[in-house]
Amino acid sequence: MVAITNAHNELIHDAVLDYYGKRLATCSSDKTIKIFEVEGENYKLIDTLIGHEGPVWRVDWAHPKFGTILASCSYDGKVLIWKEENGRWSQIASHAVHSASVNSIQWAPHEYGAVLLAAASDGKVSVVEFKENGTLSPIIIDAHAIGVNSASWAPATIIQGNNGGDGKNVDELRRFVTGGADNLVKVWKYNKENSTYILDDTLEGHSDWVRDVAWSPSVLLRSYLASVSQDRSCIIWTQEDNEGPWKKTELQQEKFPDVLWRASWSLSGNILALSGGDNKVTLWKENLEGNWESAGEVEQ
Amino acid sequence: MSYVGKGTFDSSTFGKSLSLKVDGGFNAISINPSGRDVVLASRRGLYIIDLDDPFSPPRWLQHITPWQVADVQWSPHPAKPYWVVSTSNQKALIWNLAKSSSDAIEHVLHGHSRAITDINFNPENPDILATCSIDTYVHAWDMRSPHKPFYSTSAWRSSASQVKWNFKDSNILASSHGNDVFIWDLRNGSTPLCQLVGHESSVNSIDFSRFKSTEIMSSSNDGTVKFWDYSVNNEDLTRTVTTDFPIWRGRYLPFGNGYCIMPQVGGNNSVYMMNLKSEEPDTKTAKLQPIYAFKGHTDRIIDFLWRSRYSEDDREFQLVTWSEDCDLRLWPISESIYQAVGFNREKEVEGKTIDYDYMTYNHEPSKPRTNQSNTYKKIKENFVTKSGLKDINNINHITWLSGVRINESDSPEDFFKERKLQNLGEEVSSVGHKFPKVLFEKISVSTGELAFTLSGPWSKSNPDSYVFLRISVKFPPNYPNKGYSPLFSIEENKDLSKEQRHDILLYLKEIGTKYTDAGLHCLEPSIRYLLGESISLDEIGLDEEQLLNFDIADHIDFDDISSIGSSDDNSELLTDTSSEYQPEVYDDTFDRGKNTFGRNLALDTTPIPNECGAIWTSAGKLLCFFPVTKKSAHKEHNILKLSKKSISKVYGRNETHKVIDSDEYDSGTSTSTRPKRYVETLTDDRGEDDDYENDKASNDGSLAISMGSFDSFADDWDDIMGNDIVDRNRIPALHGNFVRTFGSAPSASIRTDGSLKKNKNIIFSVDFSYLIPDKLELALGYQFLHFKAQDMAKYNALVAEEQGYDELSHCWQIFSDLLMNQNDDKIYNMLWDNHPMSLKWFVKQAMSYFEQENNVQMLAMLCCVLASLTISFMEKIDNTTDELQVNSNIENVLTFVDGNHSQPNWHVNRSRSSASQTGTPFSLDLLRIRSHTDYFTDGRSIASEDYFSSSEQGSERASFQVRSPGSINKVYGKGHLNQTHKLPEIQVELVSDEILDTINEPSRLFFDPEDVPKFETYIYQYSQLLYRWGLLLERAKILKLGSNLASMTGNNANILSEGYISGGIKARWIEHGTSGKVLSHNCTYCNLKITRNVLVCGNCQHVLHKTCAKEWWALGDECPSGCGCNCIELFDVR
Repeated sequence: MVAITNAHNELIHDAVLDYYGKRLATCSSDKTIKIFEVEGENYKLIDTLIGHEGPVWRVDWAHPKFGTILASCSYDGKVLIWKEENGRWSQIASHAVHSASVNSIQWAPHEYGAVLLAAASDGKVSVVEFKENGTLSPIIIDAHAIGVNSASWAPATIIQGNNGGDGKNVDELRRFVTGGADNLVKVWKYNKENSTYILDDTLEGHSDWVRDVAWSPSVLLRSYLASVSQDRSCIIWTQEDNEGPWKKTELQQEKFPDVLWRASWSLSGNILALSGGDNKVTLWKENLEGNWESAGEVEQ
Repeated sequence: MSYVGKGTFDSSTFGKSLSLKVDGGFNAISINPSGRDVVLASRRGLYIIDLDDPFSPPRWLQHITPWQVADVQWSPHPAKPYWVVSTSNQKALIWNLAKSSSDAIEHVLHGHSRAITDINFNPENPDILATCSIDTYVHAWDMRSPHKPFYSTSAWRSSASQVKWNFKDSNILASSHGNDVFIWDLRNGSTPLCQLVGHESSVNSIDFSRFKSTEIMSSSNDGTVKFWDYSVNNEDLTRTVTTDFPIWRGRYLPFGNGYCIMPQVGGNNSVYMMNLKSEEPDTKTAKLQPIYAFKGHTDRIIDFLWRSRYSEDDREFQLVTWSEDCDLRLWPISESIYQAVGFNREKEVEGKTIDYDYMTYNHEPSKPRTNQSNTYKKIKENFVTKSGLKDINNINHITWLSGVRINESDSPEDFFKERKLQNLGEEVSSVGHKFPKVLFEKISVSTGELAFTLSGPWSKSNPDSYVFLRISVKFPPNYPNKGYSPLFSIEENKDLSKEQRHDILLYLKEIGTKYTDAGLHCLEPSIRYLLGESISLDEIGLDEEQLLNFDIADHIDFDDISSIGSSDDNSELLTDTSSEYQPEVYDDTFDRGKNTFGRNLALDTTPIPNECGAIWTSAGKLLCFFPVTKKSAHKEHNILKLSKKSISKVYGRNETHKVIDSDEYDSGTSTSTRPKRYVETLTDDRGEDDDYENDKASNDGSLAISMGSFDSFADDWDDIMGNDIVDRNRIPALHGNFVRTFGSAPSASIRTDGSLKKNKNIIFSVDFSYLIPDKLELALGYQFLHFKAQDMAKYNALVAEEQGYDELSHCWQIFSDLLMNQNDDKIYNMLWDNHPMSLKWFVKQAMSYFEQENNVQMLAMLCCVLASLTISFMEKIDNTTDELQVNSNIENVLTFVDGNHSQPNWHVNRSRSSASQTGTPFSLDLLRIRSHTDYFTDGRSIASEDYFSSSEQGSERASFQVRSPGSINKVYGKGHLNQTHKLPEIQVELVSDEILDTINEPSRLFFDPEDVPKFETYIYQYSQLLYRWGLLLERAKILKLGSNLASMTGNNANILSEGYISGGIKARWIEHGTSGKVLSHNCTYCNLKITRNVLVCGNCQHVLHKTCAKEWWALGDECPSGCGCNCIELFDVR
């Protein structure tokens, strides 16, 4: 894909390819979302989605089994759901339970249904299921008092009841992680009895706002979390067997040159890409000894 | 007959045109009888505007209601000049403007059951007023006992639109109901005096004549005005005037012999004035022949009023109109108009003129009471109605000023044609918008006093730093005429030497003199000079243009001024600056936040947005976006610079909230001063983008024009006022970004260089797929589901080699070689399984390596090979034992081995045989249960009859325990028990042991059964990857293998039981273990999905294909599921 320049009039805050890598959605401070069709080296602007009343922070594509659906979140406190049908984009739903800027959204693993996780500056995270009949059933959780900056789902995990005795040996473990302006990272677990998410663990390690958290999609050996912060550090948290304490590993001993904004895991969790205030992207890989080493760098 | 109102003839606005932009959806207007104030009423309360000092902001009496105010009336009586009555749905509120705004409501009249439509004060008695309502009632009230009306009547049929008292006879009142007008007499009870019928549509307005007591005019939706004289005859229609628009209001003139009407819609949004005499009395119907039209509003006029002033020898009037274009206008009445209606200004008025106090209620009454109880009370009242005083302060004075326009000219035609600044108020507002960093502390247009603060480059010691100045100016009344130059004074300041101050003042004086001599306004050049610009006094004549040229102002770099906050050498003044400056910023942000999303931005913790980012794509590419570099450097510079300014603010907040530890800041590296919150960058942007916003504002002029300026308006006024119209509280131009939020999305085309200055982005992707172990090209090449495992491995080795992945290729090669060895099914191979060179060991090592590598693809592929290997191996056994008809169909084979009980069963079987072969001595326990094992073996392998018959013999509980030296207990088959109701409870415990394991696992499971769920997730993950790559067929195959794998160990993962092959096609994978009560939808015999021809056993609920049933029940009577149900016997299913 060749570079797309000046797609938006103002800063771009997110750019995400869809499930098949055929469409690109970008969002910007100019309050719009743009959809590009990507075909090999070519791209074509298909549509500009207008509806937000503030800068749009993040976009996320839903799993294709739900249709061509995009979610977006904005400073205006709203989450909007957009759908393409017969080549036309329209806004099909709006989720406005937050009273402040919604800073991040993410669709849950598709096995859970069309479930969206949103983190907002009003200190709350909401988990909304968009049901077939058009109803929403938001679960709203007070997560970080001052504001939630990011939230990320764990990959769909099943826990095997290895004890075997109780006859119930398969269970689903729904979890997500949030990072907030209280410098904390919190792990939340779904509780079937109460149909809500309860705090599973609180991870302390950052000395300033946590800007982004990302749960690695890898389920191979252990669970990986990456959290990046205003304190110019990135911490990798690992947990064995989906239970027990989280182990904290600083990605690198020295601080990064500037604040870190974003963490992104590759599809199967091999490489971590970090981007920050120095307008630089760094790539990180865990070696066989369990240490993280640089795997590349991108600059504009 | 006395000289009234000492101020009336000193009024600065009487006899002039005036336009006043007032936002807030005001729907009703009334005027003080003295003509000094007007009151505007809306859902938010009342605005009192002093017409003589339109530059001072209005007094706001807050009263928030959800109902639009239908009418507001100022008491016409000199006895109660402070009374204003307004409607609030079914209630009428009597306001006392002499009281403080917080408790100005004196009475609430509650008698109507539905919304009040009109109010009228009795012209004789100041305490009496009448209201009418949609509930059809007309009530007359006496303020001395306001709890209920003293007179009520109703027209029963239709709701009332207006009510009026007769000017001559205070017992008579008229009300309009539907198409008719009713005349009532208070002494006559509720029987109408008469009913005037004739309009074809509803009557909107009625008005009694001031001169003839029985004459009344009515204006209607049918486009006619009718004049009646009800004394002559019941239905005496004196004349009808027809127009081509529905009439909203029609009233007699307060002077001369004429009337005015105004349209409800259409009619050019004008007020028409007609003469009554000119129309011939003998023709009863006439067309509208206006003698004058007051034209200029761009939207519907809501109401019109007459402002008047009297003296012994002169009477003068001014028309006041209020329109939906949010413009309050004063129209001067020319002499010719007076003559046209036969009005002689000098002629003595018949009867008495009323003596009004010429005073304004625009100001909050002074409150002498300060004792504690009162203060307490006041605080309490604030919860009910909010004091207006404080809110007036919130109304930006400069913004208010920009809405005021006065034209000295008498004629309304050229109202706004001139683009010259007309007075000081306009000058201040214009300058205030141009120089946002100049802070006006005091603006008093009426007295000509001005005080403002700014920072200019006047420092002697350091030419780069700025000095904070407080300047006050006194303008003489005749400014800007020759000889009337303003007087400047600069507050003493330690950074400014005496001489310097003297020099500045001298030059300011010179500017003032030169400009005023030319009849020009001098505030702007003066401020420019103070800000450090050089002002040439030679070309003053040309400067008029410059005064209105915004572009010049745009080029002044205000950024530098704002940065003084960080310079060290004048720290003391700095605190001064910031303390002056901060509150404004706060209010601003607050205001803005409220205006946009109703949030308090001071508490907004939205982090600053990321400017760049990198997100992985499924194909192993990294999608990156960045702002364009050189701009970003500029931006960063600004952020750093400006953040210093705002840092003190952040500190303060943090301390009070005690949330964010400030240690981080104290460490003081350059980046830690980066603002964290989004709103901070917004404040910064404001400073840096002032010029840019102005630019944009003028480019968005179209919006402003459409919203309500007249074509004759100068562009700059559009900029200032365009935004005002929606909400007065907004400060335009300063944050255009947000004000324009609800407008159309900015399209690139209307943006100019100003917007291009903003950071632009670039999006591109970088291929990092070489870092990702999962390869699409391998997925395309790899074989799985091949029948022979070693061939599969060999093939895949070639594929990997071809693509150049040596490591993977080697791995496959070894794998293939090892598999080759397994080919000859010699039992001693099993003993080698744990040897480093054996397959099992290799698999374990390879798996753990690829786990470390995060290579899902390889892991899943290995699992596939193992699965197919196991399947083929089992098939082999099945073929050799030949116990049942084995289908070549894989699914059938799976049926054969599936189910929880079959597996341990089989294990036991094999363990025995292998044990005997290897000659390992049995433990006593093991031997003891051998017989059972035998039985078990039989049950499984030879004849099911035996198995089930034995259970029928009453063996309710059979416990098998294979105990070996190992220590870990394994329990299988629990789920199976749930599933089958009639089955005796069987518990098989397998205890694993290294040595025994080698013997006990003849199944040649080359992996630990415990790992199976892990393998499943590998396969599942890989299947998702394949889905993303669009390899749907491969995905389906691998999922099938995965499910096979699951079935082999009897462990089922929900995650695999339901999958999506593509799009929305659901495939339910065979569910084995735990589905206790769920009716199985797969044939228990062939294990294929059943769609039709179903046979269901009513007892055990197992289902069979009809054909399968035939086949099965040819052999025996039991359920093929092995649940022990004698389906045939219980139900005649055959």
